Amino acid sequence: MSSLLSGQLLFAALATGGLYALVAFGLNLIYGTLRLLNVAHGEIVMLGAYAAYWAMTMMGGAPLFALPLAALLLGAFGFALYGGLFRLALSRPALMKRIEGNSLLLFFGVSIILQNAVSLVFSASPRANKADDALIAFADIQTSQSRLMAVAITFLVCLSLAIALKTSWAGRAVRAMIQNRDAAAIVGIPLDRLQAWSFAIGFAVAGLAGALVSLFEQISPFMGFPYTVAAFVVIILGGLGNLAGSLAAGLLLGVVETFGVAATSANWRSILVWGIFILVMLLKPQGLFGGSRR
Amino acid sequence: MIRRTAWMWVGLALAMAALPQLGGDYLIGLGITLLMWIALAESWIVLSGMTGYVSFGHAVFYGLGAYVMVVCWNNLPGWAGFLGAGLAAGLFALAIGYPVLRVRGPYFVILTYGLAELVKFLIINTEAALGKFGRLVFGAPPLATLYYLMLGLATLAVLIAWTVRRSRLGLGLAAIREDETAAENAGVPVARLKLIAFALSAAIPGMVGAVMALRSSYFEPLQAFSPTVSFNIVAMAVIGGGDDAPGPILGALFLVLLSELLWAHLPEVYMIILGLLVIGFVLFAPEGLHGRLQRLRRP
Amino acid sequence: MSAGLVLEGVGKNFGGLKAVSDVSFAVPEGAIVGLMGANGAGKTTLFALIAGNERPSEGAIRFDGPRIDGLSPDRVVKKGIARTFQIVRPFAGLSVRDNVRVAALYGRGGFAGSAEDWVAAVLDETGLAEQADKPAQALTLSGRKRLEVARALATRPRLLLLDEVLAGLTPTEVAEALVMLRAIQAKHGLAILVIEHVMKALMRLCATIVVLHHGLKIAEGTPEAIAADPAVIEAYLGESAAHA
Repeated sequence: MSSLLSGQLLFAALATGGLYALVAFGLNLIYGTLRLLNVAHGEIVMLGAYAAYWAMTMMGGAPLFALPLAALLLGAFGFALYGGLFRLALSRPALMKRIEGNSLLLFFGVSIILQNAVSLVFSASPRANKADDALIAFADIQTSQSRLMAVAITFLVCLSLAIALKTSWAGRAVRAMIQNRDAAAIVGIPLDRLQAWSFAIGFAVAGLAGALVSLFEQISPFMGFPYTVAAFVVIILGGLGNLAGSLAAGLLLGVVETFGVAATSANWRSILVWGIFILVMLLKPQGLFGGSRR
Repeated sequence: MIRRTAWMWVGLALAMAALPQLGGDYLIGLGITLLMWIALAESWIVLSGMTGYVSFGHAVFYGLGAYVMVVCWNNLPGWAGFLGAGLAAGLFALAIGYPVLRVRGPYFVILTYGLAELVKFLIINTEAALGKFGRLVFGAPPLATLYYLMLGLATLAVLIAWTVRRSRLGLGLAAIREDETAAENAGVPVARLKLIAFALSAAIPGMVGAVMALRSSYFEPLQAFSPTVSFNIVAMAVIGGGDDAPGPILGALFLVLLSELLWAHLPEVYMIILGLLVIGFVLFAPEGLHGRLQRLRRP
Repeated sequence: MSAGLVLEGVGKNFGGLKAVSDVSFAVPEGAIVGLMGANGAGKTTLFALIAGNERPSEGAIRFDGPRIDGLSPDRVVKKGIARTFQIVRPFAGLSVRDNVRVAALYGRGGFAGSAEDWVAAVLDETGLAEQADKPAQALTLSGRKRLEVARALATRPRLLLLDEVLAGLTPTEVAEALVMLRAIQAKHGLAILVIEHVMKALMRLCATIVVLHHGLKIAEGTPEAIAADPAVIEAYLGESAAHA
């Protein structure tokens, strides 16, 4: 970390930023389509990490098997959580009146349940995948094989999500819904089905992110929260409901955080992240990249 | 009916006052815990129950109070640290309140959480720069003294919540909760009222933090500013229900007893039940325990 | 300085969009002035500017002389101007009485007797006395419109801004509401600025009518003069005739 201009640092920044973008995407998707703020989003990342850990360590699966499995399992969980809990919540007018606040409380409940259930099953101590990692070096960048793979997959998924959002029917329907729910319903967009899918896709992507993290970092039942925080910062930066904005903001946060910490010290990481968050919130609550008005 | 309820509360206060004479250290400790949560949750509803600005960061006032106390402890008389803690928390709320209270709804919730985290890490870094990693408090007052301090704080918090709820201020806050724009156009000075509510709901948690720093004889920022404090306050207020004084008492009583049963041996199970309870109350009983009881009483 | 409300070249831009531009007129003390115009003509924006919900981009708004533009809504209320909302905004969870009580306690004050008496009197005048202890969300639309008026009236204004309080009501309800408004106006000696789509009602209620079109004032005069004004017929009546 001698120079701030090293390729190593840039690589680390992109790796972190890509991950943030991935995690924030799901959070923003669910907020955009349902106006629900998922404070349990980091716990979904955590579950994805444990699913991959379980598949690889206990079942002996390869990463290329564990990653889609984690995404699939969490996607199914998203489907189930929407059908089991939030469809009910959304059908109650008294709750809908303050749905954003109430959804926060519901997800808060989900969050502590998940943390503690995983802690009960897997124990609270951190674990790590023992992947046989070859080191790779090019130019002045040194990294491990699994980290490189994780970064590649992150960007691949981000890119395909962005393309799908622009071009596919579902993507356009989702964007229509984010802009104007009532109008979307009138032109025949099936809101309920899309909402269920928003949960499923949002959770699947977060689960995948968690699985990727598990390839090169220790995992614990309480690892999720920093990701929730980062994802919130990202979607505030990028604009609530603005999915493209959150991809850009994810990268930005990764860069700012990585370079900021390199320029100061690790102690400043949280101050930096929260400081940015609070400043944006107070100065420009509609996000740096425009987006819908509150 | 009203008279009977009033006597019930007086009886409860007297019973709590007599507790140190009757019980041992365990019971006094449990009493302090209960009173602490009552004081915190009652303070919380003055802002969040009455205006609908849900704070997920009340730990910041608690933590600041604890910090002021341990910093003052060896340099100033104890009462100065105690009052200073409340003053610091209240002034902090006033200082940040104007910009922060312009942010509404879920954004406010996350903002308060973020502020608490920011202050936590700022203090961690300050302490690290001073070369302090946790501070010990020597010569803290006996447990019974702390108990009475906490009883005083809890009573004060209940009285504040009760009085505000029935005052002109409380009506203005309720109008803000229902529709802030309409409130403004009815003449309610919304910015000023929110600021008052914020400061009122911050001061007592500051003093509670001060007492708890003495109780544990130890200050460590990660612990003093723990989000768990904020979460517990919200959970108790939600489970207790409503914007009136009895709600938080019921919520605190319920969760403290539950935690006493489960926390020592099955902390995860306690937390899972807590999560289920919050979900259950939000979905099926948004009026909380207090609302439920009221409905039972007048069928 | 003339008494009452005076608008001098008032304009408001949202982004690049001119919602209102260069509007001038007066509402003298005790007068009833109607504000007319198609949807999007800038009527409600004008109310928001007068009541302090928005700050004008240009021009001045005076009330009894001093400028009031840029004051916060609660300060404007204390100067003696109260508004209602076209899309009603009751304090849904509070009782009807508490809705009115908020305005009585935080309004201009200075009424004779206790606040409670004042609240009761306002509830009486607006025909809400029997529903006073219901939660506001239990009221019908007609009741909610009355509550809007009651809440504004309880602040003890000298100028009342009424934003389509008759819209959506049945003909019988409109007739009742008109009686109520006249009685209130006479009793309190209020000035009223009223936005209304119910044309007949506006013509019957007001001595003067101001017509807005695309944010500009295109006419001002007695109901008869307005009904005969070619610019108005072109811009407004023509349009609504085309709709009918």
